[in-house]
Amino acid sequence: MTARLRVDWPACRARGLCHELLPELVDLDEWGYPIVGGEVTPDLLADARAAVRMCPRLALRLEEPRPL
Amino acid sequence: MSAPPVAASDAPRVLEGPALLAGLGGGPGLAAHRRQHGELPGVGTDDLLAALGRLRVRGRGGAAFPFETKLRTVAGRRRPVLVVNLSEGEPASAKDCALATARPHLVLDGVDATAAALGAREVHVVLPGERPRVTSAVRAALAERPVRRRTVVHTADSRFVAGQARAALELIAGRPNLPVTSWTPEAVSGHRGRPTLLSNAETWAQVGLLVLRGERGYAALGTADEPGTTLVTLSAATPTVLEVPFGTPWRDVLPTSWAGRPVLVGGFHGSWVSWEELAAGTVSVDAMRAAGTPLGAGVLICPEEPPAAYTARLVGYLAGQSAGRCGPCRHGLPALAAAVGTGDQERTTELARLVTGRGACAHPDGTARLVRSLARLRVAS
Repeated sequence: MTARLRVDWPACRARGLCHELLPELVDLDEWGYPIVGGEVTPDLLADARAAVRMCPRLALRLEEPRPL
Repeated sequence: MSAPPVAASDAPRVLEGPALLAGLGGGPGLAAHRRQHGELPGVGTDDLLAALGRLRVRGRGGAAFPFETKLRTVAGRRRPVLVVNLSEGEPASAKDCALATARPHLVLDGVDATAAALGAREVHVVLPGERPRVTSAVRAALAERPVRRRTVVHTADSRFVAGQARAALELIAGRPNLPVTSWTPEAVSGHRGRPTLLSNAETWAQVGLLVLRGERGYAALGTADEPGTTLVTLSAATPTVLEVPFGTPWRDVLPTSWAGRPVLVGGFHGSWVSWEELAAGTVSVDAMRAAGTPLGAGVLICPEEPPAAYTARLVGYLAGQSAGRCGPCRHGLPALAAAVGTGDQERTTELARLVTGRGACAHPDGTARLVRSLARLRVAS
Protein backbone atom coordinates (compact mmCIF):
# COMPACT_ATOMS: atom_id res chain seq x y z
CA MET A 1 0.00 0.00 0.00
CA THR A 2 1.24 3.46 -0.86
CA ALA A 3 0.50 6.76 0.81
CA ARG A 4 -2.50 8.79 -0.22
CA LEU A 5 -3.74 12.32 0.38
CA ARG A 6 -7.02 12.95 2.12
CA VAL A 7 -8.89 16.22 2.40
CA ASP A 8 -10.66 17.30 5.58
CA TRP A 9 -13.62 18.67 3.61
CA PRO A 10 -15.30 20.73 6.33
CA ALA A 11 -11.94 22.44 6.99
CA CYS A 12 -11.08 23.17 3.33
CA ARG A 13 -11.88 26.68 2.09
CA ALA A 14 -10.55 26.38 -1.44
CA ARG A 15 -7.38 28.40 -0.89
CA GLY A 16 -5.71 26.33 -3.60
CA LEU A 17 -2.19 26.12 -2.20
CA CYS A 18 -2.21 22.34 -2.50
CA HIS A 19 -2.66 22.68 -6.24
CA GLU A 20 0.15 25.23 -6.45
CA LEU A 21 2.52 22.96 -4.55
CA LEU A 22 1.48 19.64 -6.01
CA PRO A 23 -0.10 20.08 -9.42
CA GLU A 24 0.86 16.49 -10.29
CA LEU A 25 -1.70 15.17 -7.84
CA VAL A 26 -4.06 18.02 -7.04
CA ASP A 27 -6.40 19.58 -9.56
CA LEU A 28 -9.03 22.17 -8.70
CA ASP A 29 -12.74 21.93 -9.47
CA GLU A 30 -14.83 24.78 -10.85
CA TRP A 31 -15.26 26.21 -7.32
CA GLY A 32 -11.57 25.93 -6.46
CA TYR A 33 -11.75 22.85 -4.24
CA PRO A 34 -9.08 20.18 -4.65
CA ILE A 35 -9.58 17.08 -6.75
CA VAL A 36 -7.00 14.68 -5.40
CA GLY A 37 -6.01 12.02 -7.87
CA GLY A 38 -3.78 8.99 -7.86
CA GLU A 39 -1.45 7.63 -5.25
CA VAL A 40 1.48 9.47 -3.78
CA THR A 41 4.46 7.84 -5.46
CA PRO A 42 7.82 8.00 -3.62
CA ASP A 43 9.13 10.77 -5.92
CA LEU A 44 6.17 12.97 -4.95
CA LEU A 45 6.31 12.24 -1.24
CA ALA A 46 8.37 15.30 -0.31
CA ASP A 47 6.10 17.64 -2.28
CA ALA A 48 3.04 15.98 -0.78
CA ARG A 49 4.40 16.51 2.73
CA ALA A 50 5.07 20.16 1.87
CA ALA A 51 1.49 20.58 0.63
CA VAL A 52 0.18 19.11 3.88
CA ARG A 53 2.42 21.38 5.94
CA MET A 54 1.62 24.53 3.97
CA CYS A 55 -2.17 24.22 3.80
CA PRO A 56 -3.42 27.37 5.54
CA ARG A 57 -6.51 25.50 6.75
CA LEU A 58 -4.59 22.37 7.85
CA ALA A 59 -7.14 20.51 5.72
CA LEU A 60 -4.83 18.07 4.01
CA ARG A 61 -3.47 14.86 5.44
CA LEU A 62 -1.09 12.28 4.14
CA GLU A 63 -2.17 8.82 5.15
CA GLU A 64 0.90 6.65 5.08
CA PRO A 65 0.79 2.90 5.50
CA ARG A 66 1.88 1.94 8.98
CA PRO A 67 4.64 -0.62 9.38
CA LEU A 68 3.11 -3.84 10.68
CA MET B 1 -35.00 25.73 1.53
CA SER B 2 -37.39 23.34 -0.16
CA ALA B 3 -39.55 20.95 1.81
CA PRO B 4 -39.03 17.20 1.59
CA PRO B 5 -41.34 15.45 -0.91
CA VAL B 6 -42.44 13.28 2.01
CA ALA B 7 -42.75 14.74 5.50
CA ALA B 8 -41.41 12.83 8.52
CA SER B 9 -44.13 10.90 10.30
CA ASP B 10 -44.17 9.73 13.91
CA ALA B 11 -47.40 7.77 13.52
CA PRO B 12 -46.83 5.10 10.87
CA ARG B 13 -49.15 2.16 10.34
CA VAL B 14 -47.22 -0.75 11.87
CA LEU B 15 -48.19 -4.21 10.67
CA GLU B 16 -47.88 -7.35 12.78
CA GLY B 17 -44.71 -9.22 11.81
CA PRO B 18 -43.10 -12.61 12.43
CA ALA B 19 -40.32 -11.62 14.86
CA LEU B 20 -39.44 -7.99 15.66
CA LEU B 21 -43.01 -6.88 15.15
CA ALA B 22 -44.72 -9.95 16.63
CA GLY B 23 -47.33 -9.60 19.37
CA LEU B 24 -48.11 -5.92 18.77
CA GLY B 25 -51.46 -6.40 20.54
CA GLY B 26 -49.64 -6.66 23.88
CA GLY B 27 -48.56 -3.01 23.65
CA PRO B 28 -45.08 -1.52 24.12
CA GLY B 29 -44.79 -2.00 27.91
CA LEU B 30 -42.01 -3.90 29.67
CA ALA B 31 -44.33 -6.41 31.39
CA ALA B 32 -45.90 -7.50 28.09
CA HIS B 33 -42.44 -7.64 26.51
CA ARG B 34 -41.16 -9.96 29.26
CA ARG B 35 -44.28 -12.16 29.00
CA GLN B 36 -43.64 -12.49 25.27
CA HIS B 37 -39.87 -12.92 25.21
CA GLY B 38 -38.90 -13.88 28.77
CA GLU B 39 -36.05 -12.45 30.84
CA LEU B 40 -32.97 -11.23 29.00
CA PRO B 41 -30.34 -13.97 29.29
CA GLY B 42 -26.70 -13.08 29.83
CA VAL B 43 -24.41 -13.66 26.87
CA GLY B 44 -20.64 -13.62 26.54
CA THR B 45 -18.92 -11.48 23.92
CA ASP B 46 -17.35 -14.49 22.18
CA ASP B 47 -20.67 -16.33 21.86
CA LEU B 48 -22.40 -13.19 20.69
CA LEU B 49 -19.68 -12.52 18.09
CA ALA B 50 -19.85 -16.09 16.79
CA ALA B 51 -23.64 -16.00 16.44
CA LEU B 52 -23.63 -12.56 14.80
CA GLY B 53 -21.04 -13.78 12.31
CA ARG B 54 -22.89 -16.96 11.42
CA LEU B 55 -26.20 -15.12 11.10
CA ARG B 56 -24.57 -12.32 9.09
CA VAL B 57 -26.33 -9.63 11.10
CA ARG B 58 -25.67 -6.35 9.37
CA GLY B 59 -26.34 -2.72 10.24
CA ARG B 60 -29.81 -1.49 9.33
CA GLY B 61 -29.01 2.20 9.04
CA GLY B 62 -28.38 1.86 5.31
CA ALA B 63 -24.78 0.76 4.84
CA ALA B 64 -25.35 -2.90 5.87
CA PHE B 65 -21.97 -3.03 7.61
CA PRO B 66 -21.43 -6.35 9.46
CA PHE B 67 -22.30 -5.76 13.11
CA GLU B 68 -19.90 -8.51 14.15
CA THR B 69 -16.94 -6.52 12.74
CA LYS B 70 -17.95 -3.42 14.70
CA LEU B 71 -18.49 -5.37 17.90
CA ARG B 72 -15.19 -7.23 17.51
CA THR B 73 -13.33 -3.93 17.08
CA VAL B 74 -14.94 -2.44 20.18
CA ALA B 75 -14.57 -5.62 22.25
CA GLY B 76 -10.78 -5.55 22.09
CA ARG B 77 -10.59 -2.03 23.53
CA ARG B 78 -11.00 -0.32 26.89
CA ARG B 79 -14.01 1.64 28.18
CA PRO B 80 -16.42 1.23 25.28
CA VAL B 81 -19.40 3.53 24.71
CA LEU B 82 -22.68 2.38 23.12
CA VAL B 83 -24.91 4.62 21.01
CA VAL B 84 -28.47 3.90 19.91
CA ASN B 85 -29.18 5.98 16.85
CA LEU B 86 -32.92 6.63 16.65
CA SER B 87 -32.57 9.95 14.85
CA GLU B 88 -33.96 8.64 11.53
CA GLY B 89 -32.94 11.72 9.55
CA GLU B 90 -34.56 10.42 6.38
CA PRO B 91 -38.13 11.80 6.47
CA ALA B 92 -39.55 8.95 4.35
CA SER B 93 -38.34 6.28 6.78
CA ALA B 94 -40.47 5.34 9.78
CA LYS B 95 -39.10 1.97 10.89
CA ASP B 96 -37.04 3.23 13.81
CA CYS B 97 -40.08 5.24 14.84
CA ALA B 98 -42.17 2.06 14.61
CA LEU B 99 -39.71 0.17 16.81
CA ALA B 100 -39.48 2.99 19.35
CA THR B 101 -43.23 3.30 19.70
CA ALA B 102 -44.22 -0.37 19.39
CA ARG B 103 -41.15 -2.40 20.43
CA PRO B 104 -38.80 -0.17 22.46
CA HIS B 105 -37.72 -2.93 24.87
CA LEU B 106 -36.44 -5.10 22.05
CA VAL B 107 -34.09 -2.25 21.09
CA LEU B 108 -33.06 -1.67 24.71
CA ASP B 109 -32.57 -5.41 25.34
CA GLY B 110 -30.11 -5.48 22.43
CA VAL B 111 -28.23 -2.59 24.00
CA ASP B 112 -28.34 -4.06 27.52
CA ALA B 113 -27.14 -7.51 26.46
CA THR B 114 -24.25 -6.02 24.46
CA ALA B 115 -23.32 -3.53 27.16
CA ALA B 116 -23.30 -6.30 29.78
CA ALA B 117 -21.14 -8.50 27.55
CA LEU B 118 -18.66 -5.69 26.93
CA GLY B 119 -18.75 -4.29 30.44
CA ALA B 120 -19.76 -0.93 28.97
CA ARG B 121 -20.83 1.64 31.52
CA GLU B 122 -22.09 4.39 29.23
CA VAL B 123 -24.97 4.44 26.74
CA HIS B 124 -26.17 7.34 24.61
CA VAL B 125 -29.57 7.46 22.95
CA VAL B 126 -30.03 9.85 20.02
CA LEU B 127 -33.68 10.79 19.44
CA PRO B 128 -35.19 12.44 16.37
CA GLY B 129 -35.87 16.16 16.49
CA GLU B 130 -39.21 16.14 14.74
CA ARG B 131 -40.95 12.97 15.87
CA PRO B 132 -42.23 13.75 19.36
CA ARG B 133 -43.99 10.39 19.79
CA VAL B 134 -40.62 8.65 19.52
CA THR B 135 -39.16 10.83 22.25
CA SER B 136 -42.01 10.15 24.68
CA ALA B 137 -42.06 6.41 23.86
CA VAL B 138 -38.32 5.99 24.45
CA ARG B 139 -38.35 8.04 27.65
CA ALA B 140 -41.27 5.97 28.95
CA ALA B 141 -39.49 2.71 28.07
CA LEU B 142 -36.24 3.82 29.74
CA ALA B 143 -38.18 4.80 32.88
CA GLU B 144 -39.62 1.26 33.12
CA ARG B 145 -36.22 -0.41 33.19
CA PRO B 146 -33.77 -0.68 36.06
CA VAL B 147 -30.87 1.74 35.66
CA ARG B 148 -27.78 -0.40 35.09
CA ARG B 149 -25.46 2.16 33.56
CA ARG B 150 -25.12 5.83 32.74
CA THR B 151 -27.70 6.53 30.00
CA VAL B 152 -27.78 9.92 28.33
CA VAL B 153 -30.55 11.01 25.97
CA HIS B 154 -29.89 13.52 23.17
CA THR B 155 -32.17 15.10 20.57
CA ALA B 156 -30.91 15.38 17.00
CA ASP B 157 -31.60 18.34 14.75
CA SER B 158 -34.33 18.03 12.13
CA ARG B 159 -31.86 17.75 9.31
CA PHE B 160 -31.28 14.98 6.80
CA VAL B 161 -27.60 14.57 7.66
CA ALA B 162 -28.05 14.89 11.45
CA GLY B 163 -28.32 11.13 11.90
CA GLN B 164 -25.03 10.34 10.18
CA ALA B 165 -22.69 8.53 12.60
CA ARG B 166 -20.11 11.29 13.06
CA ALA B 167 -22.84 13.94 13.22
CA ALA B 168 -24.49 11.97 16.03
CA LEU B 169 -21.15 11.78 17.88
CA GLU B 170 -20.73 15.54 17.48
CA LEU B 171 -24.16 16.02 19.04
CA ILE B 172 -23.25 13.73 21.94
CA ALA B 173 -20.05 15.71 22.46
CA GLY B 174 -22.06 18.95 22.67
CA ARG B 175 -20.96 20.36 19.34
CA PRO B 176 -23.16 21.25 16.33
CA ASN B 177 -25.02 18.15 15.07
CA LEU B 178 -23.22 18.06 11.71
CA PRO B 179 -20.93 15.55 9.98
CA VAL B 180 -17.18 15.93 10.40
CA THR B 181 -14.30 14.07 8.79
CA SER B 182 -13.79 10.61 10.21
CA TRP B 183 -10.09 9.72 10.27
CA THR B 184 -10.62 6.49 12.19
CA PRO B 185 -13.64 4.19 12.55
CA GLU B 186 -15.93 5.10 15.46
CA ALA B 187 -15.41 1.58 16.81
CA VAL B 188 -11.72 2.45 17.27
CA SER B 189 -12.01 6.08 18.31
CA GLY B 190 -15.44 7.63 18.68
CA HIS B 191 -16.95 9.56 21.57
CA ARG B 192 -14.08 11.27 23.45
CA GLY B 193 -11.66 9.02 21.62
CA ARG B 194 -13.19 5.93 23.19
CA PRO B 195 -14.25 2.84 21.21
CA THR B 196 -17.85 3.51 20.25
CA LEU B 197 -20.44 1.03 19.07
CA LEU B 198 -22.96 3.19 17.26
CA SER B 199 -25.86 1.49 15.55
CA ASN B 200 -29.29 2.17 14.25
CA ALA B 201 -32.32 1.19 16.37
CA GLU B 202 -33.29 -1.72 14.13
CA THR B 203 -29.78 -3.17 14.39
CA TRP B 204 -30.02 -3.11 18.20
CA ALA B 205 -33.49 -4.68 18.03
CA GLN B 206 -32.09 -7.48 15.85
CA VAL B 207 -29.37 -8.09 18.44
CA GLY B 208 -32.02 -8.09 21.18
CA LEU B 209 -34.09 -10.61 19.27
CA LEU B 210 -31.05 -12.84 18.73
CA VAL B 211 -30.21 -12.85 22.45
CA LEU B 212 -33.83 -13.47 23.46
CA ARG B 213 -34.66 -16.13 20.88
CA GLY B 214 -31.28 -17.76 20.50
CA GLU B 215 -29.45 -18.45 17.27
CA ARG B 216 -31.80 -21.20 16.08
CA GLY B 217 -34.89 -19.17 16.79
CA TYR B 218 -33.41 -16.22 14.91
CA ALA B 219 -32.46 -18.37 11.91
CA ALA B 220 -35.93 -19.94 11.67
CA LEU B 221 -36.86 -17.07 9.35
CA GLY B 222 -35.12 -15.87 6.22
CA THR B 223 -32.73 -17.84 4.03
CA ALA B 224 -29.58 -19.84 4.78
CA ASP B 225 -27.42 -17.03 3.36
CA GLU B 226 -29.40 -14.22 4.92
CA PRO B 227 -31.15 -15.40 8.07
CA GLY B 228 -33.79 -13.33 9.80
CA THR B 229 -35.99 -10.46 8.78
CA THR B 230 -35.75 -6.82 7.87
CA LEU B 231 -38.02 -3.81 8.34
CA VAL B 232 -39.43 -2.04 5.31
CA THR B 233 -41.13 1.35 5.14
CA LEU B 234 -43.65 1.81 2.33
CA SER B 235 -43.66 5.57 2.04
CA ALA B 236 -46.96 7.49 2.03
CA ALA B 237 -48.53 10.39 3.92
CA THR B 238 -49.12 7.74 6.59
CA PRO B 239 -46.25 5.33 5.96
CA THR B 240 -46.58 1.59 6.50
CA VAL B 241 -43.86 -0.29 8.35
CA LEU B 242 -43.71 -4.04 7.92
CA GLU B 243 -41.31 -6.83 8.74
CA VAL B 244 -40.25 -9.14 5.94
CA PRO B 245 -38.13 -12.31 6.11
CA PHE B 246 -35.13 -12.20 3.77
CA GLY B 247 -35.85 -14.15 0.60
CA THR B 248 -39.48 -13.00 0.35
CA PRO B 249 -40.44 -12.12 -3.25
CA TRP B 250 -40.97 -8.36 -3.57
CA ARG B 251 -44.13 -9.15 -5.53
CA ASP B 252 -45.68 -10.32 -2.23
CA VAL B 253 -44.58 -7.18 -0.39
CA LEU B 254 -45.41 -4.36 -2.80
CA PRO B 255 -48.91 -2.87 -2.68
CA THR B 256 -50.97 -3.79 -5.76
CA SER B 257 -51.63 -0.08 -6.36
CA TRP B 258 -47.91 0.36 -7.17
CA ALA B 259 -47.99 -2.11 -10.07
CA GLY B 260 -46.32 -0.82 -13.21
CA ARG B 261 -44.85 2.34 -11.68
CA PRO B 262 -41.12 2.92 -11.01
CA VAL B 263 -40.09 2.61 -7.36
CA LEU B 264 -37.38 4.51 -5.52
CA VAL B 265 -35.63 1.83 -3.43
CA GLY B 266 -33.51 2.88 -0.46
CA GLY B 267 -35.13 6.24 0.16
CA PHE B 268 -33.90 9.72 -0.79
CA HIS B 269 -30.35 8.41 -1.32
CA GLY B 270 -31.70 5.38 -3.13
CA SER B 271 -32.06 4.18 -6.69
CA TRP B 272 -34.91 4.06 -9.15
CA VAL B 273 -35.95 0.66 -10.35
CA SER B 274 -38.75 -0.39 -12.64
CA TRP B 275 -41.65 -2.14 -10.96
CA GLU B 276 -41.06 -5.19 -13.17
CA GLU B 277 -37.40 -5.52 -12.15
CA LEU B 278 -38.14 -5.02 -8.48
CA ALA B 279 -41.15 -7.38 -8.45
CA ALA B 280 -39.07 -10.13 -10.09
CA GLY B 281 -36.53 -10.10 -7.23
CA THR B 282 -36.48 -10.98 -3.55
CA VAL B 283 -35.83 -9.04 -0.35
CA SER B 284 -32.06 -9.44 -0.08
CA VAL B 285 -29.19 -7.19 0.93
CA ASP B 286 -26.73 -9.10 -1.26
CA ALA B 287 -28.81 -9.51 -4.41
CA MET B 288 -30.10 -5.94 -4.35
CA ARG B 289 -26.62 -4.55 -3.81
CA ALA B 290 -25.36 -6.65 -6.73
CA ALA B 291 -28.22 -5.34 -8.89
CA GLY B 292 -27.15 -1.75 -8.13
CA THR B 293 -30.33 -1.02 -6.16
CA PRO B 294 -29.28 -1.41 -2.52
CA LEU B 295 -32.03 -1.85 0.05
CA GLY B 296 -30.43 0.83 2.23
CA ALA B 297 -32.53 1.51 5.31
CA GLY B 298 -35.50 -0.26 3.69
CA VAL B 299 -37.50 2.71 2.43
CA LEU B 300 -39.57 2.28 -0.73
CA ILE B 301 -41.23 5.24 -2.42
CA CYS B 302 -43.62 5.01 -5.36
CA PRO B 303 -44.63 8.57 -6.26
CA GLU B 304 -47.61 9.48 -8.42
CA GLU B 305 -45.38 12.04 -10.14
CA PRO B 306 -43.05 10.93 -13.00
CA PRO B 307 -39.56 9.92 -11.71
CA ALA B 308 -37.79 12.84 -13.44
CA ALA B 309 -39.99 15.49 -11.83
CA TYR B 310 -39.87 13.75 -8.45
CA THR B 311 -36.08 13.45 -8.62
CA ALA B 312 -35.71 17.15 -9.47
CA ARG B 313 -37.80 18.06 -6.42
CA LEU B 314 -35.89 15.62 -4.27
CA VAL B 315 -32.45 16.87 -5.34
CA GLY B 316 -33.62 20.42 -4.61
CA TYR B 317 -34.53 19.32 -1.11
CA LEU B 318 -31.28 17.37 -0.62
CA ALA B 319 -29.23 20.37 -1.79
CA GLY B 320 -30.93 22.42 0.92
CA GLN B 321 -30.11 19.73 3.48
CA SER B 322 -26.37 20.03 2.90
CA ALA B 323 -24.71 21.14 6.12
CA GLY B 324 -22.85 23.59 3.88
CA ARG B 325 -19.50 22.74 5.43
CA CYS B 326 -17.91 20.81 2.58
CA GLY B 327 -17.31 22.90 -0.53
CA PRO B 328 -18.10 20.30 -3.20
CA CYS B 329 -21.44 19.53 -1.51
CA ARG B 330 -22.34 23.17 -0.77
CA HIS B 331 -21.67 24.28 -4.36
CA GLY B 332 -22.20 21.00 -6.18
CA LEU B 333 -25.62 19.96 -4.93
CA PRO B 334 -27.41 23.22 -5.85
CA ALA B 335 -25.73 23.04 -9.28
CA LEU B 336 -26.81 19.42 -9.56
CA ALA B 337 -30.38 20.35 -8.61
CA ALA B 338 -30.38 23.02 -11.33
CA ALA B 339 -29.03 20.59 -13.94
CA VAL B 340 -31.56 17.90 -13.03
CA GLY B 341 -34.32 20.54 -13.08
CA THR B 342 -33.47 21.72 -16.60
CA GLY B 343 -32.89 18.16 -17.82
CA ASP B 344 -29.27 18.86 -18.81
CA GLN B 345 -28.02 15.28 -18.72
CA GLU B 346 -24.41 15.96 -19.64
CA ARG B 347 -24.02 18.50 -16.84
CA THR B 348 -25.91 16.19 -14.46
CA THR B 349 -23.49 13.36 -15.15
CA GLU B 350 -20.48 15.66 -14.76
CA LEU B 351 -21.68 17.06 -11.43
CA ALA B 352 -22.70 13.65 -10.07
CA ARG B 353 -19.14 12.49 -10.70
CA LEU B 354 -17.65 15.68 -9.27
CA VAL B 355 -19.42 15.53 -5.89
CA THR B 356 -18.93 11.80 -5.27
CA GLY B 357 -16.48 10.90 -2.53
CA ARG B 358 -15.75 14.53 -1.71
CA GLY B 359 -17.37 15.22 1.62
CA ALA B 360 -17.20 14.36 5.31
CA CYS B 361 -20.32 12.23 4.93
CA ALA B 362 -22.02 10.33 2.12
CA HIS B 363 -24.69 12.96 1.46
CA PRO B 364 -23.21 14.03 -1.90
CA ASP B 365 -22.57 10.38 -2.83
CA GLY B 366 -26.15 9.38 -2.05
CA THR B 367 -27.55 12.30 -4.00
CA ALA B 368 -25.34 11.39 -6.97
CA ARG B 369 -26.53 7.78 -6.76
CA LEU B 370 -30.12 8.97 -6.96
CA VAL B 371 -29.59 11.01 -10.14
CA ARG B 372 -27.49 8.29 -11.78
CA SER B 373 -30.24 5.76 -11.18
CA LEU B 374 -32.69 8.08 -12.95
CA ALA B 375 -30.48 7.99 -16.03
CA ARG B 376 -30.36 4.19 -15.80
CA LEU B 377 -34.14 4.00 -15.52
CA ARG B 378 -34.42 6.12 -18.69
CA VAL B 379 -32.08 3.79 -20.57
CA ALA B 380 -33.97 0.72 -19.36
CA SER B 381 -37.40 1.98 -20.37
